[in-house]
Amino acid sequence: MSATLRRINGEPWLDLSGEKTFSAMKGSLARQLNSLDDYLLGTLVSIDIGSKHLTDKQLREIEDILLDHGLHLKEIVNSPSERRDTANFDKPVLEGMPEYEETLLLCRHLRSGQKVCSNGNLVILGDINPGAEVVAKGNILVMGSLRGIAHAGANGDTTAVVAAYRLNPTQIRIANHITRPPDGEVVTNSDPEVARIRDGKVIIEKLKI
Amino acid sequence: MKGKVIVITSGKGGVGKTTTTANLGTALAMMGQKVVLVDTDIGLRNLDVVMGLENRIVFDIVDVVNGHCKLKQALIRDKRFEGLCLLPAAQTKDKTAVTPHQMKNLTNELRKDFDIILVDCPAGIEQGFKNAIAGADDAIIVATPEVSSVRDADRIIGLLEAAGLNRARLIINRLRKNMVKRGDMMDIDDILDILSIDLLGVVPEDEMIIVSTNKGEPAVLETNSRAGGAYRRIARRIMGEEVPLLTDEAGNFMERFKKMIKLAR
Repeated sequence: MSATLRRINGEPWLDLSGEKTFSAMKGSLARQLNSLDDYLLGTLVSIDIGSKHLTDKQLREIEDILLDHGLHLKEIVNSPSERRDTANFDKPVLEGMPEYEETLLLCRHLRSGQKVCSNGNLVILGDINPGAEVVAKGNILVMGSLRGIAHAGANGDTTAVVAAYRLNPTQIRIANHITRPPDGEVVTNSDPEVARIRDGKVIIEKLKI
Repeated sequence: MKGKVIVITSGKGGVGKTTTTANLGTALAMMGQKVVLVDTDIGLRNLDVVMGLENRIVFDIVDVVNGHCKLKQALIRDKRFEGLCLLPAAQTKDKTAVTPHQMKNLTNELRKDFDIILVDCPAGIEQGFKNAIAGADDAIIVATPEVSSVRDADRIIGLLEAAGLNRARLIINRLRKNMVKRGDMMDIDDILDILSIDLLGVVPEDEMIIVSTNKGEPAVLETNSRAGGAYRRIARRIMGEEVPLLTDEAGNFMERFKKMIKLAR
């Protein structure tokens, strides 16, 4: 399938959501841009990549290709599409999870008042105590008790998850969703659990890999 | 440089830092150690009151660091024990009257003449706390079995770690065995689970503490005080002795342990 240039609200929009691999995406992007007229020079282009996710490096490559044709990248768009299930981009380790270039590994307890941020995923070998906060653009994995606040997908990635060996958080935030445990309910869990967004709600389920 | 500087801190106020300092200092002096108690709670001093030495104060810690007097002049010798001294805080100044650098010099000076320097830290995490921990080699955290106290202790442990004091140990103060049994109070396991540091000892709730504090006589001097006994055992642990937790102190902790042994059999 080749890339198709459309205009949405007067702005150029490249649909690459049908491409299965990154190299195919690059190829069709280059082909499409070669056939474009000069009148687009200097404009901003949005690119739709369907359900796939680009690493920082791949994003830079796309930007370079656009710049070679005198165009600027406006944004990368993930269009919701029925092709989601069939698109299989570089085979993610955990199904449906996006990839991040960076993962921060932390081998200590986080105590009240301490905060750690990561540009990608965040893995903690230790506890997150009440009053402590962890924030990651990607997923958060706690190999210990999560009793504080965890914010996964801080840049808006709604597929991000928070997994913990013992999930007893003060609050869980995923992308722009915020949840807290119900009042007055004391739940003691003894299994690893994972929090993720499903149907617009944060749900907690047993961790299965 | 032979003496050891131990700071006694908690974050939260009213959990028993000063009482702990007075009692541990006295217990260590009873064991023949040369001990000095340093009150860093400038503006709200009361270690001198608890020790019953208030009326002997002439110079204080601020006078010492500013060079208004010699260190020896400000030290107050205890009425009961030869090897026990108190360096009182100033009451008319505030925490900014001393800097962490000055505290470091002061504790280094004290190391020369004493085996153990116990620093009584003020509540909070501001200047007074920074002063108190500046010269410390070791830290003792005092926490009561309350969520707020444990939360503050957790914060303090984090700040101590950031300052390079990684081996803080915990004293759980004012534990009520009966309330723990009924499930109305956090038990030792709950607290250790959150704080994950070594336990130095458990002090049971004891009315006698209030009486002895008001009299200015530390509870360790009373042979039949339960809290006093707990402090004496903690002092032995500080000196490196292996002293097991009493069932009385430990409550559920030991009962669970015993159950485990029974199950294993």
